[in-house]
Amino acid sequence: MGADPGRALIASPSNGSSSPATAALAPTVDVLVDHVEKSFVANGGKVVTALDKVSTTILRGEFVALIGPSGCGKSTLLRLIAGLDEPTEGMVRVRSESPKTFCARGELGIVFQDPALLPWRSVRHNVALPLEVLGRPVKPAAAHIQSLIEMVGLKGFEDALPGQLSGGMRQRVAIARALVTNPSLILLDEPFGALDQILRRTMNLELQRIWLRELTTTLLVTHAIEEAVFLADRVIVMQANPGRIVEEVIIPFPRPRDESLFSDPKFHQRCDRLASLLHGGEEH
Amino acid sequence: MTRLLRTALAILVVLALWEAAARAGVLGGRVVPAPSGILFDWWTQRADYALHIAATAKAAALGFLIGNGVAILCAVLFILAPSIERLSRGVTITLFAVPAITIGQVLVVAYDGIVPQVALSAICVYFPTMVATLIGLREIDPRASDVVRVYGGDSLCILRYVRLRAALPGLLAGLKVAAPAALLGAILAEFGSGSRWGLGTFLLGSLGQANAARLWGIGLSATAVAALGYAIFALGARRVLGATLSVTLAANSAPDRLGSYRLGRPGQRVLMAIGALALPFVVWWAAPRILGLNPIIARDPIDTFHYLALDNGAATARAALLSALSSTLPAAGLGLLLGLAAAFLLASLSVLRPELARLLLPPSLVLQTMPLVALTPMIVLIFGRDLAAMLAVTITVVFFPAYVTLAQGFSLTPPAALDVVRCYGDRPVKSLLLVSVPFSLPYVFAAARLVAPRALLGAMIAEFLATGTGLGQLLNASRGQLDYGMIWATAFASVVVAILAYQAVGLVERLATSGRES
Repeated sequence: MGADPGRALIASPSNGSSSPATAALAPTVDVLVDHVEKSFVANGGKVVTALDKVSTTILRGEFVALIGPSGCGKSTLLRLIAGLDEPTEGMVRVRSESPKTFCARGELGIVFQDPALLPWRSVRHNVALPLEVLGRPVKPAAAHIQSLIEMVGLKGFEDALPGQLSGGMRQRVAIARALVTNPSLILLDEPFGALDQILRRTMNLELQRIWLRELTTTLLVTHAIEEAVFLADRVIVMQANPGRIVEEVIIPFPRPRDESLFSDPKFHQRCDRLASLLHGGEEH
Repeated sequence: MTRLLRTALAILVVLALWEAAARAGVLGGRVVPAPSGILFDWWTQRADYALHIAATAKAAALGFLIGNGVAILCAVLFILAPSIERLSRGVTITLFAVPAITIGQVLVVAYDGIVPQVALSAICVYFPTMVATLIGLREIDPRASDVVRVYGGDSLCILRYVRLRAALPGLLAGLKVAAPAALLGAILAEFGSGSRWGLGTFLLGSLGQANAARLWGIGLSATAVAALGYAIFALGARRVLGATLSVTLAANSAPDRLGSYRLGRPGQRVLMAIGALALPFVVWWAAPRILGLNPIIARDPIDTFHYLALDNGAATARAALLSALSSTLPAAGLGLLLGLAAAFLLASLSVLRPELARLLLPPSLVLQTMPLVALTPMIVLIFGRDLAAMLAVTITVVFFPAYVTLAQGFSLTPPAALDVVRCYGDRPVKSLLLVSVPFSLPYVFAAARLVAPRALLGAMIAEFLATGTGLGQLLNASRGQLDYGMIWATAFASVVVAILAYQAVGLVERLATSGRES
């Protein structure tokens, strides 16, 4: 994974950036979004365009953040990539397959803002749910499930029910569940949106630690600029009415990024630039 | 444990006071006998009681199993194929609104033996269980089903991993309400059946004897059996959920909570609505033919139309039906309004004085499931055999379920909204009028829809057993005279009235709460 050309090109401009040698290697495209349009019929019969001719790609091993105001269609785009909805026009491909085919092989992990745990299942059995849905044996995976629970810091809570856990702990269970199939693409839909600022930072650091182990291609939808800049290799900025991509910004900070980055002036420069893009390109 | 002890102690104190009052002659021995008298009569007749209770309980249990099996299967089918649910909504509302006593009379003339009882029990059980299960299956965490879908899970997979288990508390709450309903069905189908054993037969046989202790014994026995069924599932629900109060609402809800989604284009929706309206008639026309019933006994919609509009005696039949309706409806309507008003008043007072709710809610939860037949003889003893008795029965059957629904509605008022008022001084009456009452308005209508059909059933049972007037009497008399056309016409009229009342409540609700977010 470390020799992945796509990652070398996009994520780490600091170590030699776009030398002709690396640029010549064609990066592998994991997610292709091609002229995607999505419209809904609202209650009054009016057609609302949630996404208007959106095109982008996500490369293998890339961590991409998608930010934008509410109603810009960022969650809709994520649902299209997850195969949970179908585009009205255009095409979504994940590793050259339709999202549904890709998902049915257990190649996708997903985390929502709401942990969406089944309240009657213990932590262990919630993490095992994807395996059961895929019809895979759970028993041989017991050690793997245990290691995931320990990785997200929930050792000792294997048999606890979701109702006995705090909000942050439940979200950790959801992350472990998303990783249980060793996915090749992870989608995160405002995963820490319901957590307070302090817990959010802790979870951001942990997410980076988990991500650095496998360098799995990841798409994070968020409305927190700091979170996007801290975690992502590239930030895609969207605007509403109609939902569209207005800018893509490369975040060049080297990894692993630690907490000191949050107070780095360069970090704030990036954040301010994104904020001005979000506010419709006004000067800040 | 101490709570259990305190409850037991309270019951003992009440019994002691009752005994003392009865002995002192305050209650009038011919109306309310002393507990010891009831117990003594029960003991001397214990062999008979055992046979009567066993006969009714057996039929109720069979109907309970069959009806719930069908209800659960239907709920699962409806969740997998929403258009079938849409189409059968007319049948569902009919099953909810139909006064069980009319189906009982129809079944009694068509079948012998235990069949009418089992069938009516199954019919009484179907609605509460189906709705509670359907709501449980439908109201799941949408993200949880997204998680299953992300791994390629189809709707069967979502059913298996998410819906079925999520519906369990709702199902148990439904069964809790269904258990007493099964008993009520079994008893109502004994009226006019000529069966030798059963609590209904026993009740009819004892009504003429003016034996107060016997009537109270029968009523209390039926209540005890119903309460036992209720308690079994209440305990089960508590084990599954830990909360008993919040789940009763789903099982007690009227059919309006069925459809919270839209389906298809407008044209399609109109077709669906027409289909839903026509299906009950199709079932009415086809079911007797499929079951191979004698067409003389089982009249279909066309026969009934002929009977009321075209036949020789049509004018007389219409006059008899209209006169019965004009006698039943005012009493049922008045009882409904008074019962609702009393429930609303007490539920509002419970907001100001929470200790009142703590006192009233537990017995109301049990009493709302008490079979109304069990109630009627006691009320007849107290109020006699005229309009007062009818009103008393109707008000009683309306009050308890309405009070439970309204108390829950009031308790769901958002605390933050109450705090806003409290910030401008502690004025409980103001906060009741400004916040709690408007917030509970949807529950007032939910309660009205829930109890409107019960009011009609209560009035008809009172007429059948006590006053000898109105629709209840018309049913009873036409069965005696083998006037099958009139039985079906009466059944049809009572169903139409119940459904119209139900729809009228819906209309008023839409007017009163328009613009609110649902």
